[in-house]
Amino acid sequence: MEAFFQALTVLLTPSHLVYLVGGVTLGLCVGILPGLGGIVGMTILLPVIYGMDIHNAFALLIGMVAVIPTSDTFPSVMMGIPGSSASQATIMDGYPLAKKGEAARALGAAFTASLIGGLFGAFVLSLIIPIARPLVLAFGSPELFMLAVLGMSMVGVLSGNQPIKGIIGAGIGLMLGAMGDAPAIAEYRYTFGFDYLMDGISLVIVGLGLFAFPEIIDLLIKGRPIAEKAELGRGWFDGLKDTLRHKWIVLRCATIGVIIGFIPGLGGSVVDWIAYGHIIQTSKDRERFGKGDIRGVIAPESANNAKEGGGLIPTFLFGIPGSGSMAVFLGGLLILGIQPGPSMLTENVDLIYTAIWSLALANIFGAGLALMLAKPITKLTIVPFRYLAPFMILIITFAAYQASYSWGDLIALLLVGILGWLMKQFGWPRPAALIGFVLAGNLEQYLFISVQRYGFDWLTRPGVIIMTVIIAASLGASIVYQNKLKAAGRTAAKK
Amino acid sequence: MKKWYCMILAVVFALVLLAPAAQAEVDFSGEQINWIIPFRVGGGSDVWSRLYAPFFQKYLPGNPIVAVKNMPGGGSITGGNHFEQRVRGDDGLTVFGSSGSTSFPYLLGNSKVRYDFAKYHIVFASPTGGVAYINPELGVKSAADLKGFTKEMNYASQGATSLDIVPLLGFDLLGLNVKAVFGYKGRGAGRVAFEQGEVSIDYQTTTAYIKNVRPLVEQGLAVPLMTWGVLDDDGNIVRDPIEPDLPCFPEVYEMVHGKKPSGQAWNAWKAFMIAGFGVQKAMWLPEQTKPEVVEAYRAAAKKVIADPEFQVVVEKSLGGYQQMAGENARKAFDQVLSVPKEDKAWVVKWIKDEYDIEVK
Repeated sequence: MEAFFQALTVLLTPSHLVYLVGGVTLGLCVGILPGLGGIVGMTILLPVIYGMDIHNAFALLIGMVAVIPTSDTFPSVMMGIPGSSASQATIMDGYPLAKKGEAARALGAAFTASLIGGLFGAFVLSLIIPIARPLVLAFGSPELFMLAVLGMSMVGVLSGNQPIKGIIGAGIGLMLGAMGDAPAIAEYRYTFGFDYLMDGISLVIVGLGLFAFPEIIDLLIKGRPIAEKAELGRGWFDGLKDTLRHKWIVLRCATIGVIIGFIPGLGGSVVDWIAYGHIIQTSKDRERFGKGDIRGVIAPESANNAKEGGGLIPTFLFGIPGSGSMAVFLGGLLILGIQPGPSMLTENVDLIYTAIWSLALANIFGAGLALMLAKPITKLTIVPFRYLAPFMILIITFAAYQASYSWGDLIALLLVGILGWLMKQFGWPRPAALIGFVLAGNLEQYLFISVQRYGFDWLTRPGVIIMTVIIAASLGASIVYQNKLKAAGRTAAKK
Repeated sequence: MKKWYCMILAVVFALVLLAPAAQAEVDFSGEQINWIIPFRVGGGSDVWSRLYAPFFQKYLPGNPIVAVKNMPGGGSITGGNHFEQRVRGDDGLTVFGSSGSTSFPYLLGNSKVRYDFAKYHIVFASPTGGVAYINPELGVKSAADLKGFTKEMNYASQGATSLDIVPLLGFDLLGLNVKAVFGYKGRGAGRVAFEQGEVSIDYQTTTAYIKNVRPLVEQGLAVPLMTWGVLDDDGNIVRDPIEPDLPCFPEVYEMVHGKKPSGQAWNAWKAFMIAGFGVQKAMWLPEQTKPEVVEAYRAAAKKVIADPEFQVVVEKSLGGYQQMAGENARKAFDQVLSVPKEDKAWVVKWIKDEYDIEVK
């Protein structure tokens, strides 16, 4: 306990704070730029940390990664463009709110949710870390496969009253995700003789192609500003109050975030969708989701900040990264001369506490700065889009090019973008395709391992049975609600 | 006569003076050296290059900026081919960092590989080691118990053409009944699978073993079996100095079979072990590089390795293994380059027979 507070006093010395604030500032910038996420931020910082004091380096790296899910909300809410893979689901309701001129309210709610979620994540990390090893070990390949299936079951809620289109959309996503080298056998799929396709298409490109590209085209066609009304309506303070009113949603989704975060192998990219799906499934009045329900902003935002706390657990205790940015962070640890492993708890416990406090403080600084920025930045939504479009096109092209620094990135962005635009035109649920894409690798890999290792016996593992029940219950509940809604004569039309 | 004598003396003097002058001509002042790493940021090879880069900056003549350029893709084949096809010039401003994953497809004759290590100039090489361990529930107390041990075991593998050739072929040479479960991403995932009981035999690089598996050994949850060994100056595989209490693979082979290892399978194993561990990572200059530039690089590498500050880095982050510069590295890597065609073909056939995977 003494070490716990000692870490705080160390962190509060001016030199550490400078690094922390530096990390937070970089994280805010990387988050605001569409398509750039934690991996890019880590990549920028990695060359810098060589030879740096370990605690300072931690403050810098964790400060950066902690606030990306806060600031990436700006483009998601204001332009319908995912700021990073962590806030794709925020688009679903955040962007319609911005169209109604309530961008400030959505941002206020999102930042408050991010703050609480992030602090909750840091808090849970501090409690859970001594007992985390058995928890992580409980998830073998069959259980990880079932988790991916649970993620896929969210397609059901996200396709609203168009289940067939949703399933086909998810299928398209799965096929896109199967491109490149197969996860378990030495084989390349759908490469059509192009070397570029050997590694498959990157998530950044699919995210930007499905969401950003169609939005930019449509806004240009309409020739109007993003907000359909000229005035900005209610402010961020209302958003803050919204979040506090829905405090149980925040805590529930933050818990989901931590859990998904600490399970290695699932990756952080589905956290927001699972939280979003969860909140739709558990809400009685659902007809406003997808049209600007503030709960649809609060849920993913509280989960995606909480997951960073969870993601540090497998990185520290097992030396295996929980997400893409954690993979780079792991490299950073090695550069600093730290070999992660169970002995971190005894030998480097001060570092773990530094990480926890950095996470907490970064969330406070990040949310504060983001709130201050919210008001001026929301004004962008009333600028005619033809002035913004060139910048947006430049930025998403640049972001896509970060995937592998080759021409193929730009061609892939264009092709996926056209696919996304067609899906949008014909009312196909794009989130379903994205979830299919994100989970394609996991589904295949863990199923393949499970069958190789256990034959069909994996189906009888207790963890698998529990998860099957959860999935069945959530799908069942979803259908029952849907029918009730229909019976009540209300339309539950959602995109 | 005296005149002649003077002239010869003058020429000799001039040559003596010129020789170091020609050496000193290599000057990278104000230049930037790009070090192509064919892997993503934060991966093992990336970390390795970033640990070395500032020291090369310090010791290369003229203190150029040494920048790591990541070019991931195709399991490092993309970056290797780029180095072969696009990098020109004899001034040593672009260098390449290879790893075991770069050498293996080269050895296996993968048709996508365009690069050819035989043409390039090696600057230095870094070895690593591996430690194999087993689940204690199988009743094996040490490597000696492996003789005639036939219980089925599972091994978490990244793929039959990956670095896992070394453990898989090694287990096969010892007559063990190990089933490879493919699809795991990295050794870390394999270690977690071991802890979960999903697999029963595994190996880790020595550094990861010390931090992550030794605690398991102390709790009685894992039994260490052997190291793959390290290469000595004469090209023999001997005990790993980091884990000297464990027998190395050739010793275990002798325990099991009662004779020193030999034959095609053994030669093949040794070649891949050297490529994957003995000289796992190496820095290369392109074919056309001027000899004096190569010399300047090798001299810098020697100074880097001798730097006490760098020795700390080796201890902390590179597993503590003796780094090889210049001639030493060349000699060691020659063992990889001189693998006979038949031995390579043998491995390709072994992979096909064992796992039904065609190397294309």
